[in-house]
Amino acid sequence: MTAVQSAQRAQSVSRNRPRLLVGLEQAWVLTVRSVFATVRKTDRWAPGLIFPLAMAAVYSSQFARTTGLPGFPEVDSFLQFILPATILQGIAFSASNAGTDMAADIETGFFDRLVVSPVARQSIFVGRVGGSAAAAGFQAGAHMAIFFLLGAPIESGPAGALALILISVVLSVGISGFGLAVALRTGSSEATQAMFPLFFMLVFVSSAFFPTELMKGWYQTAAENNPFSLVVNPTRQLVISGWSWGDLSAAVGYSLLIAVVSLGLAYGAYVQRLKRS
Amino acid sequence: MTAALDTERDRSRSRVSSLFPVVWMCHRNLTRFTRLPAILVPLIVMPVFFLVVFTSSFDGITRLDGYPTENLINWVVAFALLQGAMFSGVGTAGTVANDIENGFMDRLLVSPVRRGAIIVAPLTYTAIRALIPLTLVTVLAFAMNADVPGGILGIVLAYTGGIGGALVIGCFGLGVVLRTGDVRAMTIVQMTSFLVIFPSIGQVPIALLDGWMEQVARVNPATNLLRMTRQGYLGDVTWADTWPGLLVIACGIAVFGPWARAELIRRTR
Repeated sequence: MTAVQSAQRAQSVSRNRPRLLVGLEQAWVLTVRSVFATVRKTDRWAPGLIFPLAMAAVYSSQFARTTGLPGFPEVDSFLQFILPATILQGIAFSASNAGTDMAADIETGFFDRLVVSPVARQSIFVGRVGGSAAAAGFQAGAHMAIFFLLGAPIESGPAGALALILISVVLSVGISGFGLAVALRTGSSEATQAMFPLFFMLVFVSSAFFPTELMKGWYQTAAENNPFSLVVNPTRQLVISGWSWGDLSAAVGYSLLIAVVSLGLAYGAYVQRLKRS
Repeated sequence: MTAALDTERDRSRSRVSSLFPVVWMCHRNLTRFTRLPAILVPLIVMPVFFLVVFTSSFDGITRLDGYPTENLINWVVAFALLQGAMFSGVGTAGTVANDIENGFMDRLLVSPVRRGAIIVAPLTYTAIRALIPLTLVTVLAFAMNADVPGGILGIVLAYTGGIGGALVIGCFGLGVVLRTGDVRAMTIVQMTSFLVIFPSIGQVPIALLDGWMEQVARVNPATNLLRMTRQGYLGDVTWADTWPGLLVIACGIAVFGPWARAELIRRTR
């Protein structure tokens, strides 16, 4: 069979199948590509896995005695309290990769080659977000397993662990969206990387590392209204109190809201770039 | 007589010829601030961020029995000062890594510039650069009601601790980038500076630390550096809190400085 015949056959197969199915298949292939690209490069996954664990190790020892302070939620240990913060930090690391990788694809010309190939436009976009979400899910699982071994269990059990993975995946999509928006608008990996300290700061100015009840003044107000606090608080309840559909829906709901806003920005930038391409 | 005069004149010229490249290279690096203002961002934003966030986020820890001060900023200011200064050391290593990657270092090495000057120049730049976060954090700390019972001497020692910490990290960073010749090795320098300063008495005194952290903080050199830097903000300045910090700076420079020079000579070969 000649190459022309193969192409014609592939085209006819493609024509005979629903476009949505083909688009989903292409998105899946691009997601797998993105996951493999992350796995192959240690510098892509190691910081997101190790740095939050190092921070948790330091803080759990530094602030161990604060769990007895009035206003501190009832927890087994500070390590258990800080689990959602560790997962959130990991997500911030892995999600920033989505934007950086997209910017690198633009810089190297791979994005342009994808655009001129017969790949559904949405699949290119979904592939990047999917890769980041998958990495965040794996990472959250690894963090929970390590915390469990160190004596910080999830009170809501295996269902709670699955819920935390779900929250991580949705929140990762939300954070990736902001990175993708910058990457698609600027086409610069340097500019996209500059987004990371912003997330790092936002994580700190939230209830992730310390209860807002023990903060005061304008900082307490800022931390209480930080979108990350709105996700972290119900997530933490799943970790320290037990199963609650209300907490799960609150955490997933706020994560979805972040995702809708960020993906809206990213998709707008994507459409603009496609027009320019 | 004439020969003796000539020798003296040569020595004097040699001193000048060593000093000139240092001044010139420092000036070259300092002009980067005006050409690339973006490099000022981590120098300014990060220490301010650490000061505000650590003071406000963990304000509740002052309610613990045995916490040495009711005003958390008096404790945290030294941590922010050292972190800001260490960023200067890390940034200097990055500047040298860029010089290696863009070939400027090779041109320096084939020019008649003393090897020592190539090491001293970025370190001088580190000390000058460290003054930016040190001054910024000090002014902000006063604005946030920090006390300095140790007076001027306390502030001088805080600056000494900050510049000393920046020089030690600068020497280490130079060694790493001269060894690897890769700007990506900056991550090693950055992570090392984080890993050294966090498991110490940055936020909590040793008496309130638990488990492994207490043991690590006791032997961590950053603990002594923090004690020296912090003492003026907590009470009177004492020699007992000063000399261990000075020793850490001296030992750090004595170990990593010659290592950086050795890596430079290895690169020349």
